[in-house]
Amino acid sequence: MSTLHLIRQSAFTSNDFAQCLSVLDHQDSVVLMDDGCYNLKHSLMDSLIKRVGGSVNINIIASHAQARAIEIITAVNTIEISDVVELTFTHNKVITWQ
Amino acid sequence: MTQKEQKSSGASPQESVLAIINSKAPFSSSHGKDALDVALIFASFEQKVSLFFQGDGVYQLMDKQDGSLLGMKDYLKTFSAFEFYDIEDIYVCQQSLVNRQLGEDFHIDNVQVLSSIEFGLALNRHQHVLRF
Repeated sequence: MSTLHLIRQSAFTSNDFAQCLSVLDHQDSVVLMDDGCYNLKHSLMDSLIKRVGGSVNINIIASHAQARAIEIITAVNTIEISDVVELTFTHNKVITWQ
Repeated sequence: MTQKEQKSSGASPQESVLAIINSKAPFSSSHGKDALDVALIFASFEQKVSLFFQGDGVYQLMDKQDGSLLGMKDYLKTFSAFEFYDIEDIYVCQQSLVNRQLGEDFHIDNVQVLSSIEFGLALNRHQHVLRF
């Protein structure tokens, strides 16, 4: 069972991202969207990237990051909002963290 | 020196009437826009307004942002009108920048980066505070 996690809030103001990471499985995928893009610079992100040898698929919506002047790092995949539709089909369920 | 002190303490209640604290990121809610509207309304009635940016509010000041990519009107561009409205006191919490790994690359000039203590002191010089 794989889960798609949609992260929509900044971990600097809410603990949604921390809660997500606590239930995250190694076959899950994460999508950073809206204010969730700010989490790229959060210390929790480093722990996520290092975790299980980087097997968790981490994605970020390009336009959402660009609008916020956030530099995208190589450890995450850049996707468009339309790609999220595809991801919802390739995972068994979706959790939106907001 | 005594004279200078008297002058500053005497003038401060009138000079520092309203402080507006911005604590939210710019695009996911209307808080930032609302704070801007309030600031410009007070300023247009010649009330002295100071702006404080703390927590995720510091993102409102970062350079190279583009709200039009999200299909919304980019109210951050209006920040450049602060000078015209005589809004000169703009303070940013340094700790909030450091926590978010942000540099001091702001899209407006005359921004003062203050340590947590200085930030608190600056806020306490104001009679009224609104937080968004």
